[in-house]
Amino acid sequence: MTIAQQDNARVLMFETPYLYNMLDGQVYPLLAEGPYAWNDSRTELSFSINPAAHWSDDTPLTAEDVAYTWEAHVKYNTPTAAANVDYIEDIVASDDYTVVIQAKLNDAGAAINPLLVQAYVSTNYVIQKAWIQILEERVGGDATALLADPAEDVIASGPYMKYFADDSKVVLIRDDNYWGQDASMWGKLPVPKYLAHVIYKDNAAGTTALQAGEVDVSQQFNANVQNLWLEDGLPISTYLPDAPYGIGASLPTAFFNLTGSSYGLDNLAVRKAIAIAVDYPTIIANAMTNQSATFDQVPRSLMNPTDGEQALYDHDAVADLQWAGNDIETANAILDEAGIVDSDGDGWRELDGQKLTYIATCPNGWSDWQAAIEVVAAAGKEIGIDITTNYPEWSVYQTVVTKSDAPLPEGYDIFMMWSDGAGPTQPWSRIRKLMSSEFNGMTSNWNGNWGGYANPDADAIIAAIPQETDEAKLKEMYTELVQMYLTDIPSFTLMYRPQSFHTVNESVWTNFPYDGDGTNPPVPPLDMMDGWGVAGLYNLELVNP
Amino acid sequence: MKHTFRQVFRSGKFLVGFVIFMAIVLTVLIYPLFIKYPPLDVVSRGTFLPPGIYVNVYDSMSSSLRYTLLLDDAASRRIASKLSHEDRLAMQEWLVAMGVPEDEIDIEDTVKLLELWKNNFDPTARFPGMTNADRNYYIRLNTSLDGLLATEGATVAALNQETGVLEEKGIINQTDYVNVGEVPNVRVLPLGTDNFGRDVLTELVKATGVSLSIGLVAGVVATSIGLLLGLISGYMGGLVDDLIVFINNLFTVIPSFVLLILISFSIGQEQRGAFTIAVVIGLTSWVWTARAVRAQVISLRNRDHVNLSKLSGHSVAHILTTDILPYIASYVIMALILQISSGILIEAGLSILGLGPRTTDVPTLGLMMNWGMIYQAHIMGKWWAYFPVIVIIALISFSMNLMNTGLDQVFNPALRD
Repeated sequence: MTIAQQDNARVLMFETPYLYNMLDGQVYPLLAEGPYAWNDSRTELSFSINPAAHWSDDTPLTAEDVAYTWEAHVKYNTPTAAANVDYIEDIVASDDYTVVIQAKLNDAGAAINPLLVQAYVSTNYVIQKAWIQILEERVGGDATALLADPAEDVIASGPYMKYFADDSKVVLIRDDNYWGQDASMWGKLPVPKYLAHVIYKDNAAGTTALQAGEVDVSQQFNANVQNLWLEDGLPISTYLPDAPYGIGASLPTAFFNLTGSSYGLDNLAVRKAIAIAVDYPTIIANAMTNQSATFDQVPRSLMNPTDGEQALYDHDAVADLQWAGNDIETANAILDEAGIVDSDGDGWRELDGQKLTYIATCPNGWSDWQAAIEVVAAAGKEIGIDITTNYPEWSVYQTVVTKSDAPLPEGYDIFMMWSDGAGPTQPWSRIRKLMSSEFNGMTSNWNGNWGGYANPDADAIIAAIPQETDEAKLKEMYTELVQMYLTDIPSFTLMYRPQSFHTVNESVWTNFPYDGDGTNPPVPPLDMMDGWGVAGLYNLELVNP
Repeated sequence: MKHTFRQVFRSGKFLVGFVIFMAIVLTVLIYPLFIKYPPLDVVSRGTFLPPGIYVNVYDSMSSSLRYTLLLDDAASRRIASKLSHEDRLAMQEWLVAMGVPEDEIDIEDTVKLLELWKNNFDPTARFPGMTNADRNYYIRLNTSLDGLLATEGATVAALNQETGVLEEKGIINQTDYVNVGEVPNVRVLPLGTDNFGRDVLTELVKATGVSLSIGLVAGVVATSIGLLLGLISGYMGGLVDDLIVFINNLFTVIPSFVLLILISFSIGQEQRGAFTIAVVIGLTSWVWTARAVRAQVISLRNRDHVNLSKLSGHSVAHILTTDILPYIASYVIMALILQISSGILIEAGLSILGLGPRTTDVPTLGLMMNWGMIYQAHIMGKWWAYFPVIVIIALISFSMNLMNTGLDQVFNPALRD
């Protein structure tokens, strides 16, 4: 329940200083008061803590808590510290209610990555200093024990606290002493008394529960979601009344294995042929049941379909590199030209005498991804490259894919993973995770570029973007990156996908966010727990009070 | 031999089973001769199109052969298709919520109802207890009611590529009909399409063929192994018999389906063609055939004619094939039939677990079920994507078991009437 979902931290128990809103790209104060500010040299970022904020034990929440949270992260080398320690020098409390984040500086005296410093305030929780000290005492300063501690006695600042948890269900109960009732924040409590997060076996079980009204907000892929209201007449709706039903934010991507263990994938002609032969319209219409914008509507790049990101690159400059897919003729021509032909007459092409054969894979049970991978594999037959599918269980899949310090094993030639969705560091962070070689060699790489692509030119631009403030220059850099990505094809986007699907059953509750619901700022269609999406909990109404 | 056949075909059970089975086999053989669609071709953008006849709208619009039919109920059917009784009740609910007195609303009077609706409907209005789903429904309803009572035709216009202006191409009247036989593009999808947008019937016919061949290969492999081991172990006895019985017991106690899953999994999807799967199924399901054959052979071993053969100095192979095999042939045929039918079921079971043949090569009945389940056809009520598959599997097993029972009646002296 308290996992930071991409760039929208889940703020039910623990809270962040700011909330990110993917719909308008702004951050709004939560624990903070007013906007944050950089100093003139952009080396320090400061913000104030809302004096009304207090912990569940009624002690005030102060800047010292923010500072000590960071100190503890660094001391115990948590993932949060690992992700930020190269960019943040220190976080200090200059008085009870003022926090200063000092950026790490490069040789020229400028912040290495102001973007990530800025993002810290909306993606990382503040934890109570007093409680962290209790915990440290309990585990005797042992980092492993600290991270494994169940924290049953935790003090938090959010509107909900733990009520019940086992492996099939997590239930949170509202804390009626929540500080956010203060007029300076929400002015009232969130409407539901309990929030139950039920863990279903698979999508089918989740859909059945949604149909039966056992689920109010479903954030899974429900195939042909429109049939739930058009054919079954159920009180179910989505953010948009018609296709694509949601707001595309992330780019589920098929990665080529470039770590050297897939014969022939180091050859650009092979990668390009596969990527342009895939029938994307069928993936979107059939695998995604139209819950994605098409590549005709939003040509492929590194950007998600939101207007803000689309405006960040020069469309005309890359137009001749973008492909719409299903282009068997060109794909075959590319392979013929590269001399990759079927010389032994078995129907499959060979490269230097060795048959090209690949396995395309994704986790078992992720139905939209599985069907998409099937369509990718079907393209192989059309161009004489033998592609078959395989679906390992997620537990196996994740361990294999995130191990970037050795070549990928057999069976992971073409594999599907996600990309970042929307967030305060986007699209830079998404591009970094799709293209940057800094993750190659990590033993546990949950960032991206799982195929092991390495391009020094791209790395240089990715490193330079966070310090660039000139918009024209930024556009140039992004355009260049899109060009590299579409030229080298280390991976290729298969569809656009919402940050999280948002399908609601209004048997009990209504007034969930929908397009044009008049909320200001607009509440994004997430699962009502992440980032500014939490604002939706304050607007809910009972259908039959 | 002739006599035996005649006897077999006199058995009603065998005959019914045989007819059903042959009907399935013939369909599998004949259908592709007439309908040449590739079975794995994606024909529809969009999943699970319902069964029916799909007529190209563009072709029917631009068809020069238009007929005028004056059908009395055309208008009322058109209205009913867009305005059901439930819709009328929902409109009444809206109007009442908006303050129209209930006695002014007559939901059966379409003209009056639509008039009230037009004067009162406001897409932005909310009444207590109204959900977003309701709001979307009313907006959809309002859109579909637009021009419902119009009597004039619809104007067809095309964009002039040069000037960018819409030009009128003609008018389609409400009494215009086309003859489906004269429309160039009509596709009949008797069982609709599946989650990939493939023609289910064509896929089903192909899948039935593949599953039958899987069953046949698996059955032949299993029966051959079982027969060979049973014959050798029953006839030879001694150490050979002990060894074979030992192996047989080993395989008996390991659940064969678990073994099958392990083998399938270790082969990897890469090598898992339909034929490989069939062989693997055969290799794991010979145990009971071998046991039964061994038992029969032991009882035959000391018969007079076998001893006579031995004295004449015939070889073991000769004795087995001429003196023993004919006596158990009927049993072996029955075992084969059961093995084929269970081979088909086992493939379906494997594929549902995602361990069947590679999915991009050929359809099989199990794979069709697997994808139907993954895409929730059974939850969303898309019966055509999985129910025909179940029916075919059931029919194959049923017909084979019937044949088996029929044969049993003929050959088993204990059951003879």
